[in-house]
Amino acid sequence: MTRTALREVTGPVLDRRRMLGAGAGLGLAATLSACGQTTGPVAQPGGGSVPDAFRGRTRVVLWSTFADPVGPALQNLVDAFNREQRDVYVEVQFQGTYDECAQKAVISLLGAQAPDLCVLSDVKWYKFYFGDALEPWDSYFARGELERTYNPRLLSEGVRKGHTWWLPLARSTPLFYYNKTLFKKAGVPVRPPESYDELYDWSRHITRQSVGGKRVALEGYQKVDGDWQFQCSAWQWGGAYSKGLDVTIDEGGAVAAGEWQRKLIFRDEIAYMATEPTADMGNQLIATLVTSTGALKKINEMAKANGWELGTGFLPKKEKFAVNTGGGGLGIFKRVPRERKEAAAQFVRFLARPENAARWAIETGYLPVVSAAVKEPTLVKLMKNDPAFATAVRQLDLTRPCDQVRMMIPNANVRIYTALQRIWSANTSAQQAFAEVADQLRKGVNRYGPMIEEHL
Amino acid sequence: MTAANSLPDARPVATGSRSGVRRAQRFGLYALLVLVAVIAGGPLYWLISSALKTNPQIYSYPPHWIPTDLHWSNFSDAWRAAPFGRFFLNSLIVSVIGTAIELTAALLCAYAFVFLPFPGKKVLFLFLLGAMMVPGHVTLLPNFLTIAQLGWVNSYAGLIAPGLGSVFGTFLLRQHMLTLPQEITDAAKIDGAGHLRILFRVVLPMSRPMVITVALVVMVGKWNDFIWPLIVTSSTDMRTLPIGLLFLKNTETFANWGAILAGAVMVVVPVLVMFFFAQRYIIAGLTQGAGK
Repeated sequence: MTRTALREVTGPVLDRRRMLGAGAGLGLAATLSACGQTTGPVAQPGGGSVPDAFRGRTRVVLWSTFADPVGPALQNLVDAFNREQRDVYVEVQFQGTYDECAQKAVISLLGAQAPDLCVLSDVKWYKFYFGDALEPWDSYFARGELERTYNPRLLSEGVRKGHTWWLPLARSTPLFYYNKTLFKKAGVPVRPPESYDELYDWSRHITRQSVGGKRVALEGYQKVDGDWQFQCSAWQWGGAYSKGLDVTIDEGGAVAAGEWQRKLIFRDEIAYMATEPTADMGNQLIATLVTSTGALKKINEMAKANGWELGTGFLPKKEKFAVNTGGGGLGIFKRVPRERKEAAAQFVRFLARPENAARWAIETGYLPVVSAAVKEPTLVKLMKNDPAFATAVRQLDLTRPCDQVRMMIPNANVRIYTALQRIWSANTSAQQAFAEVADQLRKGVNRYGPMIEEHL
Repeated sequence: MTAANSLPDARPVATGSRSGVRRAQRFGLYALLVLVAVIAGGPLYWLISSALKTNPQIYSYPPHWIPTDLHWSNFSDAWRAAPFGRFFLNSLIVSVIGTAIELTAALLCAYAFVFLPFPGKKVLFLFLLGAMMVPGHVTLLPNFLTIAQLGWVNSYAGLIAPGLGSVFGTFLLRQHMLTLPQEITDAAKIDGAGHLRILFRVVLPMSRPMVITVALVVMVGKWNDFIWPLIVTSSTDMRTLPIGLLFLKNTETFANWGAILAGAVMVVVPVLVMFFFAQRYIIAGLTQGAGK
């Protein structure tokens, strides 16, 4: 990695949310001190060794971003792998959220240390790729093996310049959740609406009801990270955050989608910005919600606990149907010694076995990323018994990645959801909020665009 | 009625009225204190009571202020999801050892700034004050690179070492030592005491509330520190409690708030106990020099 490339990585990766201050400081410190190592092999973070029971094996350190209950599901698979074979020992090291893990990875690389495998979000992996820090997976698998194994749509998201840099693992997509019980009581059809216009027609019946003395709202918009769900709305209204790197969030459909939500909140008073919309859905404060497949299991639990029936469906459409993907995948760093990369690939191959991929999907709620996993009896049974899970799998075929500007420009997602917060909470017009964010995004494109285009 | 006769009659009336006013004032004061206590203790009550609720109760609307039946399994869920015993031990080691060393260093520095004549003392102290203005995050990367080169990543040494120089503690103790009567230390010198003896036998006993205050502030800072332990440790067995809480909340799925709040109680309670036992020292330390 060159010094310039490293600075590109350090800047964008570090300045996010909780460690915003840290990010700014680190970016500056990295520039000023210029003392980090940017070339040469890296050691495993903090030394460590293979436990006696697995002595003699190659140790692979996996940095994970999965807490309870997803973390234990990964650990179960790791334990199964460690029990099964003789050459490799995998150790999972949990590193916090996607942001925290990525920030740590940058710092560790500067300190000539790095994990052998790292979970990186759909947004974060680009920063490492642009910084020339990632190693392509292709040479660790037989020709065509990756294409035969993974869902082609999800696999393609990690492919750039003919190489696979990022493998799908914990992928999700927004789903439409609705309260069947409230729909039934409202006298509207008990099914997902075909379109937002249809849902709007139903809304006056649905929102006439009260639960626990509180009037039921139609929708809640997620305060933090809501830009992910809003991406679908921008597309559905015929707009986009960007076309390539050409910023379009302040034009047409994206603005119309923002105005639609503003109208629902401030004129019709049937929607609001929610800190934890999944909880509000569980408590019947809202009748419908667009959120990740990952929330399915828990919303279902709350529905059962609170005595109402949950339904799921494809997202409603406006001018057209559109839905995006999200979540995390696996990357390996270029400076990790070859032997450990090969050992890491063995574990990845284990995760990609249909039975293991199916188990992962069942235990976590993430999409089955391996094509053959959907034929596994356990997953087939789940999809049969739980139509909601089947919805997510069926909708997967209709997904597409988020717009480039959100994925590749540092902090774009934060800027977009901050603009959305202004629309949802301060009644700022969508045109005004998005014009300001578009200006910031265009500055980002001017700064990072040449580097991005060089890598695409 | 004579004036002499009227006085005894008048006095009780005046006293009664004054005591009534006093009673009303006291009642008002107590009411205010209760209100402040409720406001201050409310979040703590909510934390502890919610740690004993089921998830539906936590999320329920209208809110359940009192848990209907105590859901102790939140604590066992938290304990199962992450090795909190180990995290607790690590936090204790880092906080206690780190505070002891940092406090000793701060005491020595403060003493030197007050009682030792050396060239450039004022300029050096200004530099020290300047260091307080530098955001801690700026030093994160250089600190990590230093620790990495020393081979201390993922170790207690790595967790403790960068926090050992306490500018804040030095500053606070220096300001306190400046208020001590010079005659006492002069007398000790005349008696033949060296600097270390003066520090530990004369200055320290007179500074106990301030030293305890600094120790508590430093220790709580270390107990709650999140970023440095996250950066410098990698394996689960070296994590501290604030990072342990992360193990309980997955970002993309629904949070098990019962377990998270139970974990938060485990983090907060030791600090509360510490404050409970040391509060009179803290008050004495912070109010020293306030009264004439």
